[in-house]
Amino acid sequence: MLDPSRSHDGSGGSERAPPELSSLEIVAVVRHDEEGEALARELRRTRARVHHLWPLPPRLPEDVDVIFCELVPQLPQCLPWVPGQPTAALVAVMAALQAPDLKLLRNCAPHGVLHRPFTANTVLTSLALARAQFLYERRLRSRIDKLDETLRAFRCVERAKTILMQTRQFDEDEAYHFIRRRAMSRRISISAVAAAIVDSNDVLG
Amino acid sequence: MRWSCGSATEPWRVGVLFSRSGVMAVIEETQLRATLLAIDEINEAGGVNGRQVVPVVYDPGSETVAFALCAKRLMIEDGITTIFGCYTSSSRKAVLPVVERLNGLLWYPTLYEGFEFSPNVIYTGAAPNQNSVVLCSYLVETYGSRFYFVGSDYVYPRESNRVMRDLLRSQGGEVVGETYLDLRANRTDFLPVMRQIKRAGADVIFSTVVGYSTVYLYQAYAEAGFNPKVMPIASLTTTESEVRAMGFDVAEGQITAAPYFQSLANECNASFVNRYKRRHGEDEPTNMCAEAAYFQVHMFANALAQTNSMETDVIKPAVLGSDFNAPQGPVSVSATTSHTNLWSRIGRANRRGQFEIVRQSSAPVWADPYLVGRGRVSLSA
Repeated sequence: MLDPSRSHDGSGGSERAPPELSSLEIVAVVRHDEEGEALARELRRTRARVHHLWPLPPRLPEDVDVIFCELVPQLPQCLPWVPGQPTAALVAVMAALQAPDLKLLRNCAPHGVLHRPFTANTVLTSLALARAQFLYERRLRSRIDKLDETLRAFRCVERAKTILMQTRQFDEDEAYHFIRRRAMSRRISISAVAAAIVDSNDVLG
Repeated sequence: MRWSCGSATEPWRVGVLFSRSGVMAVIEETQLRATLLAIDEINEAGGVNGRQVVPVVYDPGSETVAFALCAKRLMIEDGITTIFGCYTSSSRKAVLPVVERLNGLLWYPTLYEGFEFSPNVIYTGAAPNQNSVVLCSYLVETYGSRFYFVGSDYVYPRESNRVMRDLLRSQGGEVVGETYLDLRANRTDFLPVMRQIKRAGADVIFSTVVGYSTVYLYQAYAEAGFNPKVMPIASLTTTESEVRAMGFDVAEGQITAAPYFQSLANECNASFVNRYKRRHGEDEPTNMCAEAAYFQVHMFANALAQTNSMETDVIKPAVLGSDFNAPQGPVSVSATTSHTNLWSRIGRANRRGQFEIVRQSSAPVWADPYLVGRGRVSLSA
């Protein structure tokens, strides 16, 4: 962690940022004023690649890892994704005296918030938190997708097991291991193997 | 929750997302009309707790991406939480992340392939256990067990056929062929399919073709000289509206399974059909998708009258477990699945473009979207 007493002079300290942050591509969409430059500088100290953009483009870039962006009314329309399917971690940047617009905040669905004045500590924590939150959500989404697929495939695997038990006189375990071995040797999913067994059995009648 | 109620006269604004253009317009337009009809009825009766219901309607033009963007616009720019809409499964899947992330409530009035449960969706169309299961047994008993699958090439037909294949096998039947065509397929694309079907010696053509190409499938069938008494086209999606588009003579004798047909004789349906025709024209038939679109708005209004709030977390508990006397008969929303307990019926198209009911359940069939209990139902002729 950065020492809070450290100034924003950009001298040293980058080795203190966790190494996983150093490989990130970050876009900072803030004014080119002193504070905006300070934010970009703090982000660069993580050794991440940082692009400082202003004004806010009509569509934010898609192929980056983290976006720091002023919380402005048009932000939801500028995000390059539909709600629920973010392609980057989003940190909403707010002015010191900006009254929080909770509705706007909800509509942007950011993974973190950064208030002015920026300090080395608040910048780094918002970055780390937003990135972690984004990755966690992504893991959850992929888990749900896999669960959905597994639920559908489950019936197919059951059917394939029954076919193998009938046609090859396997017991249930043998049937399952047969499917599993095929899947591993052909580097395809268990459900794909099961579907192929069910399909070929259909063709054979 | 006072802050969420708005002022006492401010209208209740709801989102409506059905395509009025593109390949899905034939059916989605009927869902739009039924939605607006129900909203009119509610407003004519004084609104909900004295406030009018005002629809904000966008046309996604049968484009999946447009559905997601329109949903985003409704929720973010228009500040709307309740959306009525979607016909295809791909459009529902596009809207899903939006309503889930922003905590909206999508009312989805279309049959689909099952295997889904979102906390932000109320499903009012049939799940597979409410249509596929009964259709499969009826077809095997009446026509034979060799099925040929013809479908449009997207999520619903493939998933739906996965379910139908499984059901058919459990009845000792087999799939003798399977063809998927583009949603924009034209008439000539169906001619080679008809030849394949002839060669395969099918007893039944199970169709999951949707949208405008439905018309071409049935026309190509008629042109090929097949006899629906021997080898019918059976479908879960061909309604009175598609029948009207293809011609009554073309559809005669073909089979559809649905919770609702316009021909149902009961007071509630008579009034629904009357009002629908008065508003949209004497030639405009109702159908299962329009009926679900219609009754779901009324179920929403009943829940809203209780909660006086459209916040999803407030209104949803009032929807779950509620019941309604719909044109198809009494229906209720299952609290465990957010799916609706609906009637199972098999209809055979007649020369007047209507379906004669050849079988139906004796009570609403419990929705079982994951086919946990295989949804066993008993039908009476």
